[in-house]
Amino acid sequence: MNNTRREDILKKLSDAVVEYDEDLAKEWAQIALDDGVDAFDAIMNGLAAGMEIVGDLYDKQEYFVPELLMCADALYAGMNILRPHIKKDSMHKKGQVVIGTVQGDVHDIGKNIIKLMFDVGGFTVHDLGRDVPLENFVEEQLRTDSEIVAMSAMMTTTMMGMKKVIEMIKAKNPNVAIMLGGAPVTKDVADLFGADGYAESAGNAVQEAIKMISRLREMHK
Amino acid sequence: MELDNKAKIIFQPSGRRGEVDRGETLIEASRQLGVDIEALCGENKVCGKCKVRIEEGFFEKFGIHSSKTNVSEWQEEEEKFINQTQREEGYRLGCCAKVLGDVLIFVPEESRAGKQVVSKAARDIHIDWNPAVKHYYVEVVEPTFEEPTADFERILEELNRQYGLTNLTVDYFALKTLPTRLRDSENKWKVTVSVWMDKEIVRFLPGKAEDYYGIAIDIGTTTVAAYFCNLHTMEVVETVSMMNPQCKYGEDVMSRITYHMMNPGGLERMSDDMIEGLNSLVVKACEATHPPKEKKKKKKGDGEAAEAVAAEPEETTGETTGETEMTEEDEVLILKAKEEKHYLRLDPNDVIDMTIVGNTAMHHIFLKLDPQFVGLAPFPPVVHKGLDIKARDIGIKICNSAYIHVLPNEAGFVGADNVGVLISEEPYKKDEVQLIIDIGTNGELVLGNKEKLISSSCATGPALEGAQIAFGMRAAPGAIERIKIDPETHEVDYKVIGRDAWKSFSKPEEMKTKGICGSGILDVLAELYTAGIVVKSGRFNKTQKSNRYRINSDNKQPEFVIAWKDESSIGKDIVIAQKDVRQIQLAKGALYCGCKLMMRRMGIAKVDKVKIAGAFGTHVDRQKALVMGLFPDCSLDMIESVGNAAGDGARAALLNREKRVEANWVSRNVEYIELTVEKDFQEHFMEAMQIPHMKDKFPHLEGVVPSEVLFQK
Repeated sequence: MNNTRREDILKKLSDAVVEYDEDLAKEWAQIALDDGVDAFDAIMNGLAAGMEIVGDLYDKQEYFVPELLMCADALYAGMNILRPHIKKDSMHKKGQVVIGTVQGDVHDIGKNIIKLMFDVGGFTVHDLGRDVPLENFVEEQLRTDSEIVAMSAMMTTTMMGMKKVIEMIKAKNPNVAIMLGGAPVTKDVADLFGADGYAESAGNAVQEAIKMISRLREMHK
Repeated sequence: MELDNKAKIIFQPSGRRGEVDRGETLIEASRQLGVDIEALCGENKVCGKCKVRIEEGFFEKFGIHSSKTNVSEWQEEEEKFINQTQREEGYRLGCCAKVLGDVLIFVPEESRAGKQVVSKAARDIHIDWNPAVKHYYVEVVEPTFEEPTADFERILEELNRQYGLTNLTVDYFALKTLPTRLRDSENKWKVTVSVWMDKEIVRFLPGKAEDYYGIAIDIGTTTVAAYFCNLHTMEVVETVSMMNPQCKYGEDVMSRITYHMMNPGGLERMSDDMIEGLNSLVVKACEATHPPKEKKKKKKGDGEAAEAVAAEPEETTGETTGETEMTEEDEVLILKAKEEKHYLRLDPNDVIDMTIVGNTAMHHIFLKLDPQFVGLAPFPPVVHKGLDIKARDIGIKICNSAYIHVLPNEAGFVGADNVGVLISEEPYKKDEVQLIIDIGTNGELVLGNKEKLISSSCATGPALEGAQIAFGMRAAPGAIERIKIDPETHEVDYKVIGRDAWKSFSKPEEMKTKGICGSGILDVLAELYTAGIVVKSGRFNKTQKSNRYRINSDNKQPEFVIAWKDESSIGKDIVIAQKDVRQIQLAKGALYCGCKLMMRRMGIAKVDKVKIAGAFGTHVDRQKALVMGLFPDCSLDMIESVGNAAGDGARAALLNREKRVEANWVSRNVEYIELTVEKDFQEHFMEAMQIPHMKDKFPHLEGVVPSEVLFQK
């Protein structure tokens, strides 16, 4: 397969994500496999590259949550086809993340978007869902030995729970990186709670996560 | 020498001054000195509405040297709202900058909290007469040596004989007044007894008193309204309102709950502010029943007013803040009072009953019940049941022996206010399926009929009330309340509160526009969409027809100018930015999605009636509400604005005790549904964010919205 063909397929995958066309994403994921494009290449430089553009559009307010979620759907549609074909060696040391919305909080749209970003980035994601009892974060981290714990809260009242989780986790394992996100979380709060990472808003979190993916893509070039 | 820990502060242009402790924020200082600065986000450094300017230099008049260095360091959060030029001019956020030394602070017009115009007028609804407190007039025989029974028993006997009342108790404080009231020189041995729930005597009045009074109160997150009613004739004597004094602790319910969680004594402080506020509201309602006080500068005195001056000694109510100036609102009241000519001349002691509704958090904070669990899933309230509490026990200053009745709560986010809506609209007595939308900072929804009723709440956020919108403001003079956009030219016409003429009939400088309030915000999305300025997804259209559309050079965001600088009193263009459109979309998406999921839960595809209630329920343009997709498609004539239905419910419970029983029943028979945990909530919410909806059809908008707009991809 020549490189122009590869580029063409990757572009189509990217476009399918940007234009939130699930059918197109599926179609081109299959073509990628049929034409012998490496599955991981197709995900990272096709689908994920598209998501990068989406992040940009979101940042410029051209895209909003609905578009973002639809793009995510398209991305998943393509990824579900490609993922089983990823070669073992391209999956090495990507890391694990425990993610969830803290106890008392049932808002999880933001969390789902971040989850997607980790997914795309090749992380193994342990999604605890929403309204997660605080100790479950600790237990799940210990069980899976994940490097990252990502927590989200959308209400000021539930945000307080995050502090407890951080204390509990850091007491047991100071090396775990902790990311906080959600509307009421500010940089001050993240610092005060002793978190390692913080995303100002959903958009910002998406940007952050996309940057993370970009770096991963760099690494794979 | 140790520095004095107080600093001198002067606020301009109000000129308020005083000393505050060093280390207080400027907002805190403004509060202590009685200056109203907007603090929509509750001092969370996120709304940027509390922008003030620190003046530089020595001010001889006040004897202070004011300097930018006399406040605490610049904070990162301020950068979002204050650009470099402004920063150099001394602009700071009131919630960030702390007092370190003497300062003179200028509060720009857009940062001043305006006096809200509230339209929580009482509606004409049918209520049966059966108040909790009833009056019984008795004449007793003078005691003699042969028949020396005590005053109280003498009256009890008569109440039993004439009215069949038995087992009555008496409030101690009421009893104390009995001997003198029974021997009133003009009405000897004739007394009117106020009996609460046919159980307890709460007042004795000399002679025959037919008219007696109560107050129904709706504690909204933003606005508090009170209906002063004659419990005998059932008429509404006065409607008064005020801003919720707790607004300074945070704009929405959550931030107030957080305030309580983060600040020891916070709950007490918020509750005490509310109680103090209610007391002043009662005083305000009573004052309205007196002849108007004339202002110092005499106008031409008609006989009536001259008499008024004579009749009315200077009132000293012990009020501290903000009640000193005559406002336009007061003047209207005065004019109204003058027309009526008959003055009831009531005072707070004349108020013998009070009913209160409010959302669950307001309910809890008012009663000093710990509200923090209301803020945590699954959001259980402390109590459902309606409560009867002696007014004096919580510091409400009405008749000393009177009770207040607080209506029951349904759930954590559907409180006594929604119960109020239910008992005034009575959907549980109807065959037709009603969808009742109570728009507030928290949207509350009820769906059903006499077979079944479900309720839910959705976090609409404060966007629909003006917060989180760049030029959003409260409904105060200068706020844009109606907007029309010409689809051909994209020219904007609008109306502001406090001025009858629309912009197209005014000179620019006459508009004095300050911002956009809730009803204007509801209009704007529908108008932008209908005119093709924003597309279905909420994004600004790539093809624009006028110079009103532009990219803001500071933040690179697209925006649309609603009012040009020369029409505004704040010295800049008033715009709707892309981000604002997004905020409105989130709010309306939450409501639409809530309606739809509830309909699905009930297994119905359409409803028979949509009722829009809320502080600006009466303001909502039905057609625009449908165009922007606040709720699923329906015929326009099925949409009804019901105004402040929660307040009407409080009034119903005041005038008819059966309504209190009904309230308790209905609060436990409405099934509350937590929408966010419905399995496909995310998808529905997402679809509902588009205008009017991503997928749902709106046949009733055909002919209302141009078809190329309505059927765009």
